[in-house]
Amino acid sequence: MNIEILSKGAFESALVQLEHGDELISDAGAMYRASANVDIDVTTRSRGKGGLLAGVKRLLSGNTFFLSTYRTTDGQRGEVGLAPTHQGEIFVIDVEPSTPWICAGGSFLGCSSGLQVDTQFQGLKGFVSGESLFFVEVSGSGQLLVNAFGRIVESDVDHSLTVDTGHLVAFQKSLQYSMTKAGGSWMQSWLAGEGIVMNFSGQGSILTQSHNPTEFGKRLGPLLPTRKQ
Amino acid sequence: MKFDISGNPAYGDLTVALEAGETFWSEGGAMSRMSSHLELKTRLVSGLVKSVVRRLVGGESLLISEYTAAQMAFVSLTPSCPGTILHRRMNGDRFYLTAGSFLACTPNMELQTKFGGLRSFFSGEGAFLIEISGSGDLFFNSFGGVVEKDVNGELVVDTGHVVAFEPTLSYTIGGMGGIKQTMFSGEGLVMRFNGRGKLFLQTRQLPALAGWLTPYCR
Repeated sequence: MNIEILSKGAFESALVQLEHGDELISDAGAMYRASANVDIDVTTRSRGKGGLLAGVKRLLSGNTFFLSTYRTTDGQRGEVGLAPTHQGEIFVIDVEPSTPWICAGGSFLGCSSGLQVDTQFQGLKGFVSGESLFFVEVSGSGQLLVNAFGRIVESDVDHSLTVDTGHLVAFQKSLQYSMTKAGGSWMQSWLAGEGIVMNFSGQGSILTQSHNPTEFGKRLGPLLPTRKQ
Repeated sequence: MKFDISGNPAYGDLTVALEAGETFWSEGGAMSRMSSHLELKTRLVSGLVKSVVRRLVGGESLLISEYTAAQMAFVSLTPSCPGTILHRRMNGDRFYLTAGSFLACTPNMELQTKFGGLRSFFSGEGAFLIEISGSGDLFFNSFGGVVEKDVNGELVVDTGHVVAFEPTLSYTIGGMGGIKQTMFSGEGLVMRFNGRGKLFLQTRQLPALAGWLTPYCR
């Protein structure tokens, strides 16, 4: 399987070459083109961990209920193009068995079938943030595609790093984190408009997105008509 | 203090490296990542009443986030809209920003809201300006790319596309052409700039995006 990122810059997409026998998993609806010999199978379960519950958990994580699986049917090579819903960059992560990755809900675009995709309930920790209620855990060996709102920056955490929850894309599971306030007090933090941040510690990699969908929504939302119930 | 702007023109973000004892100001909610030991406080710039007025009419946060470094630290800041970040060195002079264009500055600059006049109020755009004065580094942002225009004489621009301008420029707000053109050309109100100075324009405007998006919102 070979992944190429197209239209570098503001509006990236991914073109995945599938050899015979390769399988690609994507967020349902992310496919925008495919060669004629590619077959799509839609499942409610991630590999390994099955059942309706896993699908419901995925739905709650901000990702769609279904994951699509693509494979070629005629023993030939094929290709699948994936495009995220919103504007921004795509990043390819080489996941190794020793270090699983955690994706913020909505950042998961696709992965090779050698990886397990599992939603991981964060409990109250996730709930308080109001964003990314769920995370998706990706483990095993293979390539993972994540998308972002804006540019993606990779930071290597050495000791500690504070990240606003709205800017988080993905991080290595080797890192520990706590949800906390950015300011000196909860009131300060709330007034500053920073709300909840994640304090990371340990050693590992974090991907952040340059822009925050919540902040953009705060600006754009008041200009849009009120939502019909 | 060191500044680094990356990601222009589409996704500008600003990273500030602070030495021990240094302080920096930003618009509230702009922080994306920072050193964990950096102290974040909220601050009323120019008193409570003025801050409330700025929040209500200027569109910027009521409060400024103040970052203080006890030791070497960094903070990354992003505007709420994708676009370009620009830097301006202030030397005791003044500068005008439209509402929503302020991102960050070095401490102790003066930020004031200016009413753009009654006619601008009805245009729904550019009704309020932020006047920045003092000495230091100022960072402001656009939605979309930025066109920097050296005005010498007169220039007509759509109110919603104005990001910032120098105080040597004066302006009037009015329609373009007659009443018919003003109402139906889709240009709405325009600003007529006069004088000699720099004018910063953005290549997109948020209300227009919202207008385009509205029919698709169900």
